[in-house]
Order: sequence, then C-alpha cells, then structure tokens
Amino acid sequence: MSDRKTPVVLPTERLDYSPIAGRRPLHLPDGARMAVWVIVNVEEWDPREPMPRTVLTPPAGGAPMPDIPNWAWHEYGNRVGFWRMLEVLDEERVRAVLAINGSAIARYRPIAQAALDRGWEFIGHGFSQKNMQKVADERLDIRKTAAAIRGVTGRSPRGWLGPGLTETWETPDLLVEEGYDYVCDWVLDDEPVWLKTRTRPIVNLPYTQECNDVAMMLIQHHKAGEYYDRAIDQFAQIHRDAARSARIMALVVHPYIMGAPHRLKYFHDALVHIRAHKDVLFWTGEEILDWFVRADGAES
Amino acid sequence: MIPRQRSTFSAIVDRPPLELPGRARIVVWTIVNLEYWSISRPMARQVLPAPTGQVLLPDLPNWAWHEYGMRVGVWRFFELFRRLGIRPTLSINARVCEEYERVAAAARDAGWEFMGHAWEQMPIHKVDDQAAMIAKSLAVLERFAGTRIRGWLGPGLTETYETPELLAGAGIEYLGDWVYDDEPTEIRTKRGPLVTLPYSVELNDIPMMLVQHHESRYFAERCIDSFERLYQEGAERAKIMAIAIHPYISGQPHRIKYLETVYDHIGRYAGVLHWNGAEILDWYNAARAGR
Repeated sequence: MSDRKTPVVLPTERLDYSPIAGRRPLHLPDGARMAVWVIVNVEEWDPREPMPRTVLTPPAGGAPMPDIPNWAWHEYGNRVGFWRMLEVLDEERVRAVLAINGSAIARYRPIAQAALDRGWEFIGHGFSQKNMQKVADERLDIRKTAAAIRGVTGRSPRGWLGPGLTETWETPDLLVEEGYDYVCDWVLDDEPVWLKTRTRPIVNLPYTQECNDVAMMLIQHHKAGEYYDRAIDQFAQIHRDAARSARIMALVVHPYIMGAPHRLKYFHDALVHIRAHKDVLFWTGEEILDWFVRADGAES
Repeated sequence: MIPRQRSTFSAIVDRPPLELPGRARIVVWTIVNLEYWSISRPMARQVLPAPTGQVLLPDLPNWAWHEYGMRVGVWRFFELFRRLGIRPTLSINARVCEEYERVAAAARDAGWEFMGHAWEQMPIHKVDDQAAMIAKSLAVLERFAGTRIRGWLGPGLTETYETPELLAGAGIEYLGDWVYDDEPTEIRTKRGPLVTLPYSVELNDIPMMLVQHHESRYFAERCIDSFERLYQEGAERAKIMAIAIHPYISGQPHRIKYLETVYDHIGRYAGVLHWNGAEILDWYNAARAGR
C-alpha cells in the first residue's frame, strides 16, 4: 500500500490550467444553454463516532460522546425531511442524483427504493460519512460502496462524490480502477473536465460548494432565504455566461438541512424559477457525462 | 444501547397518519427553559468571550448576562403567555426551585407543566452519579410542583448511552432529546419504553441566536415559515411544532417582540392547539392505541 502522505500525482499534474474563455464551445441539444443537476445527499451518521456536523454544542462546550441530539437532528432528515423534499422534486419533475453512503442503502432502504422508483441516478458517496483520508482501506471503501449501490439498482454507479468532497492523492486513480466514470470533488470549473489518472482519464463534473446547504446553512449560518437568493443569482449569471458555450450548474441539498419545514420552500422556489426557463435542461450526472464525452470527442 | 437499537428506522410516509381532536391540524408546544449556571464553573453559553479568548473564572459578565433572564427577561415571558392564555412546558433545572424560587413559583402558579431538566446546567456526561442526580431532581421538582414529573430534557439535550434506562427507571414517560421526527415515537429501554416528543433545535433560540448568530427578527421568520409548512402538512397528518426559548435570549428587549410576532401570526389560524408535553403524550398514547 502506498504512503498516503506522498503525492502520487499532484492536482496540477492531473489537468493543465485552462481559462474557460479560450475553449472550443460546447453545445447542448435543442439549443439549450445550460444543464442543471440536483444532488441529494443521503448519509448515515454513526452514533458511536463524533457527528460530522452539529447544530447544537453542549453546555460549556467540549465534545461529549455520545452526541445524541445532533445524531437525532440528522436522522430527522431521513425520517421526515427527505419525504418532504421528494414531493418537491416530483412536483417539479426533477430526476435527482442520489449521492448516498454505501451503508445508508441498507439502513434507509425506503429512501433507496423511492429514488429507484423515480429513475434517479445513484452515485457513490463513501461507504460511511467519514473523511476519505481517515478510511483504513480506500479501495475497499470505494468497492463496497459500488457493490451496495449495485445491490439496489442492478448496475454499478458511474459517479462518485467524496464525503465532504475529501480525497487522498490517489482517489481518482482508484475510482477509475474500480469502474467509476466521473467524480465531482473538483469544484474548479463550470464545464466538465478530464483528469488524468495512472490508467485512463476520468471526468470531473461541476459540483458546488456555493449552492450547497452545508456550506450555506451550517458553516456560513445564512438565513434559509439565502438559498433561494443565491441559487437565482448563480443561475442568472451562468445562464448569461452560457451564451457562447454550454455551462453546468449544480444545486446541492441534504434532507436534514433543506428538508426542515422552514427551509423547504426556498429550495422549491429556486427550482420553480429555473424550471420556468425553456432553454435549461435538468439532467442527471450521467446524462451530463455522456453528453460531454460525445461533445468533447466530436469537437476536439 | 445505541440509538438504532432503541428505534428502528421508519419513514414518516410509511405510517398511518395520527389525528388530532376537533380536526385540528397542528399542536404548538412551547418550552421555556430555566437554568442554574454555577459561577464556579465555565458558563454554559457565552455572549462575550474574554479578551484573547482565555477561559477565566469566575466568568462574571456571562453569568450576569444569563442572570438577566431570571431577573428581567422571564417576566416578559410570563406577561406574554398570560395574555395569550398559553401554559407552556417549563424545562427546569431542579436547583432553580431553590435558587430562584420566585420564578419557579410564578410558573407553577400559572399552571405551567414542569419537565425535568437535570439538577443544574452541565452536560449529563459530566455528572458523576447520573441516577442520583435524576432522582434528586425529580424529587425536588415534584415536591415543589406538587405533581408527578412525566417528561425530561437533557441539558443541551445531552444523554449518555444509559440515560434512557435511568429515566424510564425513575418513572419518566417522555423525552425531548430525540429531535428526529415530527411525530412522537416510542423508543426501547431496558426498563420499558419511553416516548420521544418532537422538541426542536431548529426553532430554538440557542442554535439560532447563540450558535448561528442570526438577527433577532429571523426568529419570527423561521418560526412562521415552519408553522406554515407544518400547518399545510397538518391537513393530512397531525403535526407538532415545538418552540424552545430561554429568558436570557428571547426575553431580551430587542427580541421579545419577534416572539410576540410568532404567536400573533399563529393566532390567526384555526385548528391550532397549544398543548404542553403531558397533553401531547396523553393524546399520543390514546391515538396510537387506535393506530
């Protein structure tokens, strides 16, 4: 096993710097200017570990274990919030991408079933909600996650999102070797890009930390309405930017955050606003991937 | 026991709906938290960290900031709830009955429900003898309130793996620490079942004002947004909405009006019940018998 501290390949060795302005234009079908993909993250938080995020700190601070209140706060998303969010996605006819921890598939089977019934795309999101740098055997984690998804969908996932977007130096290499076609941890562009690996290259799709409820609500502590404001502003600018060449916009939600009763409408209203534009596609990750691979091959 | 041994995962849509009497849609459960902060320890919360961020003892400014709630802020709550005719649940450190008897007596005499909230405000993990602390707290509260104490909320909602056993063993019937559903649920303990009631860390002035640092007025906005969504859902399935407040936070002059705004808004709707924890528990026990 390689020493994880030694860079196998630096990020700058995986792709060259490329200004978006000078690139050959990409074109979406039917004159669409841009594609939006919605990623719903479903996680299992192990009550025997420190919680990945917290809403409430204990009196006088510290981090006593177990952390039942914050475990329960997250669990609300899977018991209640997800189902509320599902109604909105159904109503707006959005097939979302379910980024799911491998272990969450068995634990929250009704969620996996609901996503399967709607033809959502499943992508790997770590076997558990843990920094990939702390996972004992990364390849095994990636492989077990694919197997768990295959167990419910009947086919291997094509996409991967690291828990908290974390990677080791080796993650893209391992993903390709384990059969994944795309990754979303590299939030460095409005277009998909190719990353070199030690075997064949892998595509990175534009995910987002900007229109992402974890960053906005739990770290920056914005009001719920900022999710709508920011999504609309982000959309308007990307739509404008896409006049010459197609661009991709991601919207990221977690059931325990945007699925809270006081937040849901801001997510819903953002979808309604974007849906009203006829020249915008709502696609899954693999639809974006397949289009990009064809378009890029045809045009380069 | 870890949580998943106490409660099997259940998606809310897979359960038959619960119904409220009189075709009501929603129960608003108001919880006022009264705490005892020992001057000899670090303060439970701080509004002002010491210069250079050192932890200094005694922490007089933050002690005094909390004390304001007992001296001044809570009386704004009493006035508001008397005007509204609402009798909240009082989540109370038992030591408050001794140290702030005037405040505890005002709540008792106004007919508020007393809910156990430990002896004083510190994480339950740091209590040496949890069983003894629970027994002492309940004994003091029952003697003071003159009724049996049926509910419990951990300080900062904290629990160890054994807390539910100790509470069930002490005769507690419901628990507020499990903020994982819109409905009450039953969890397993080695001493028999406990009911969880949907307390809130979303409509709660500690996370909102002291952790997330929102503006005062956002309390009203978030509570109203929550209420409207849950009220809409309440057409199909009974919903419970908890509002959790602390006198040193929401009892501040610049915040109280936003709390009033929330209740004024809710007051315009039909089909809203204002119940305390024991009333929700009794309804749930009867309703699920027929589920």
